[in-house]
Amino acid sequence: MTEQVLQVEDLVKEFPGRRSLGDWIRRRPARPVRALDGISFELRAGEVLALVGESGCGKTTTGNLLMGLLPPSGGRVLLNGEEVGRLSGRGLQRIRRSAQMVFQDPYESLNPRMRVRDIIAEPLRVHRVGSSAADTAARVERAMTSAGLTPTGAYLNRYPFELSGGQRQRVVIAAALALEPSLLIADEPVSMLDVSIRADILNLLSALAKQQGIAVVMITHDLSTVAAYADRIAVMYMGRIVEHGPTRDVLADPQHPYARALLSVVPIPDPTARRRPVILGGETPDPSRIPSGCRFHPRCPVAFDRCPLVDPPLFEVGPDHHAACLLVEDGPRDRSG
Amino acid sequence: MTAVLEATATPPAETTRGAFRSFLRHRMGMVGAGMLLIALIVAVFAPILAPYDPYASVRVTIEDIYRAPSAQHLLGTDDGGKDVFSSLIYGARVSLIVGFAAAAIALVIGGLVGIVAGYRGGWLGSLLMRITDFFLVIPDLALQIVLVAIIGPSLGTIIFVIGILGWTTTARLVRSQTLTVRERKYVMRARAIGAGDGHILRRHILPAVLPLMLANMVLVISLAILAESTLAFLGLGDPTVISWGQMLNYAFGRGAVSAGAWWALLPPGFAIVWVVLGTTLLGTALEDALNPRLKRHHLETPGADVARDRALAPLPATAPGDASPILSVRDLSIEFDAPGGPLRAVDGVSFDLRRGETLGLVGESGCGKTTTVLGILRLLPPGGRVVSGQVWFDGEDLLGLDGRALRTFRWTRLSLVFQGAMNAMNPVRTIGDQIAEAIRLHTPGTSKEEAAARVGELLERVGIGQQRAGDYPHTYSGGMRQRAMIALALACDPDVIVADEPTTALDVMIQAQILELLSGIARDLGMGIILVTHDLGVVAQTCDRVVVMYGGSVAEENDAASVFASPQHPYTQQLLQSFPDLAHPDRALRGIPGTPPRLDDMPRGCRFAPRCPHAFERCQVERPPDYPTPAGGRAACFLLDPAEERRT
Repeated sequence: MTEQVLQVEDLVKEFPGRRSLGDWIRRRPARPVRALDGISFELRAGEVLALVGESGCGKTTTGNLLMGLLPPSGGRVLLNGEEVGRLSGRGLQRIRRSAQMVFQDPYESLNPRMRVRDIIAEPLRVHRVGSSAADTAARVERAMTSAGLTPTGAYLNRYPFELSGGQRQRVVIAAALALEPSLLIADEPVSMLDVSIRADILNLLSALAKQQGIAVVMITHDLSTVAAYADRIAVMYMGRIVEHGPTRDVLADPQHPYARALLSVVPIPDPTARRRPVILGGETPDPSRIPSGCRFHPRCPVAFDRCPLVDPPLFEVGPDHHAACLLVEDGPRDRSG
Repeated sequence: MTAVLEATATPPAETTRGAFRSFLRHRMGMVGAGMLLIALIVAVFAPILAPYDPYASVRVTIEDIYRAPSAQHLLGTDDGGKDVFSSLIYGARVSLIVGFAAAAIALVIGGLVGIVAGYRGGWLGSLLMRITDFFLVIPDLALQIVLVAIIGPSLGTIIFVIGILGWTTTARLVRSQTLTVRERKYVMRARAIGAGDGHILRRHILPAVLPLMLANMVLVISLAILAESTLAFLGLGDPTVISWGQMLNYAFGRGAVSAGAWWALLPPGFAIVWVVLGTTLLGTALEDALNPRLKRHHLETPGADVARDRALAPLPATAPGDASPILSVRDLSIEFDAPGGPLRAVDGVSFDLRRGETLGLVGESGCGKTTTVLGILRLLPPGGRVVSGQVWFDGEDLLGLDGRALRTFRWTRLSLVFQGAMNAMNPVRTIGDQIAEAIRLHTPGTSKEEAAARVGELLERVGIGQQRAGDYPHTYSGGMRQRAMIALALACDPDVIVADEPTTALDVMIQAQILELLSGIARDLGMGIILVTHDLGVVAQTCDRVVVMYGGSVAEENDAASVFASPQHPYTQQLLQSFPDLAHPDRALRGIPGTPPRLDDMPRGCRFAPRCPHAFERCQVERPPDYPTPAGGRAACFLLDPAEERRT
């Protein structure tokens, strides 16, 4: 059995809401925005989990909580058995070493005044890793090789503006790898890149998981980019995981109506494909006013009378496959439904 | 457009090297640096350069006072019988010492206040900035006079007084730069790595702020020199040292004007102007080069967007009827001005759009797809120019139209849906108002009521609902704004709509809504749509025909079904292989090795040859023309040349 790298238990994050004029007049406290409303998942070494959802569903907040960049309002995150939110000072530094982040925008996330060599060595300097200059250089070299920046000599002394988008993203990844983390959080790692480069970056991330045993959380709004790379998919809606299971099962037989709709509208590069897209009306509601009962019921095409009343938990619909919908309370729906 | 600029790859001014280069180009700055350098040399070597020591006490007779310039005294003598030329040379020392020392004080205070206010923010930041504002509104000179009068005039006092009153501009400048850098993604990334404030300040904030402080310091020096001269002229200078202001003060106070001794007045005045002008020129040039906010765009050279000597070709023969193209682009080439000569962003692009047809223009960023449609719409940014080709729209050459004809044409027959709908709407006018404006502008004589009715109809058509006509853009969500953009594009019932990445940056569900809307419009209203996108999935689901672009030219064109079923150009094949397909999640994706060509470094032969797995010798030296493909399309690849048949 491979080791458990990450455990997320009932994680909640609330942001203080803006007090409206009406609230102020009625002396009502500000309505907090519940960005995350109790999510739980686990991740083993070498596993790739995709957190998928539309903007505002809480996936980026999750990433920030996993990194310890924000304190949770409830629940906890365990990284290699240590609780992330509770630590400060040295403990937090140690956690930060084992969890690293790959950001969305490789054009913005590199300091234009620094050379590639210094960018990748920066995390080592911050954490005072590397006993000597030679040791630091060796670690930088190793990280660059892992990130596919070879021959390293061709990149070491370049500035970011001299690199292409794909190369920049590799530099970001190399900097994240320099500390040899056990968890990599990739927030939309390819959405700013050209199509022809995306596959290479995704292949790289999945190879890092498989070969170096790094656990990877991929945060994305695009189901199609993760389909071939994630071991498991968690679909999020308004701060909750509404469906969670092995990639193959979720893609082939989604059980939650939201997951179904989301899957049905992903464009497929095949003009002859016969599909029935379920286009949901409207947009994700305001997270400061979460609907009663099932939070998806106002947009749900198959909602019935109990949905506004009962907040459904995750029901088991298959091996390691769960969905939060009253329709699957007694087992999975058949595929035609 | 960004891609075009990026491809020219001049180092951004954000790197120190780039800034230095742009500074060297600044002629006035070099003049200023020269002037300041001369003043510095004079100050340093004063004892060698000066013929007399102005600090030595000499016996003075009445004849020595205000003696006119002579060989012995190049600039005559002053009221004390001293050599004006020597005093002038020694005066440089005091002026520069005061200038540099006061500027250093101002820089330290201003830098600290600015960085703390910008980095910490919060109540401390606000407090510091209010203090800065307070110092900014105090009349400097009045306070300096009072302070010097109270403390007593000495060189140290003067430096201190000028220094503590001169830091406000530095503080504001540093704060705004710190704020910008603090919000940068790379600072966020450093924080995620686990870096503390000390590290971020040292490694990321300071290197970005220091050059700016340096430029600002030069300007503060010039102000300090001026302040010292003013104080000394008013009699508040240190009486034990000779400065230019002091010289003026003595000359004015002791009868130089009535004695007609211009030589005692003009030289110190000239010296002050010399140094202040020099530092100001240098400082302004440094700020120009180092402050990103002040940078002017190098492409901002206005000119015609269509070259006068563009090559012409006859109108393509078309059969009348529904099948005839409404829009024919023929051999369109577009160039951008660049420091190293014009760069060709679009090279010989041709395609047709039929009525009611949706055409997808696909390619990676920098392939020229957006530039092509901007050229067709005659909306090229300054510096861009159509150098050859025609755009036939319903029998008329769009590129031949003059300003007014073009304007009426643009919205009534051909309209545009932009990528960033947010920026395309005026935030202080209601959505309904903006659509009504477009209608009334292009259909004079429309009454307000008619326009309002049409606005309601349009908003219903795009799924917004007419009740929201009176709302402002900021109350609309991203998807709603894009719908409003589409309503605006439909306002004058055009024949063709160009949609440039209409769903990029929108969520998949919203994207599906917008695409469904566009397809409905094409189907119900019989409009032609050119959809510019990088997303092959979007193309597959909405387009009838596909034009694949690479490196500024068309790689392949055909109906959508054929392009996706049997792509003929290796680029199209590879692009499809790198694109994820949810219907086949197990298929391994492969990226295309290498990077798209840069505009200033285009391959001589086929533009795709350096990345092409099938490239052979001919591809390296010869540009492939269009060859017909088996499925009735065309592709620019030698593999389709019947003469090369043995290869395939």
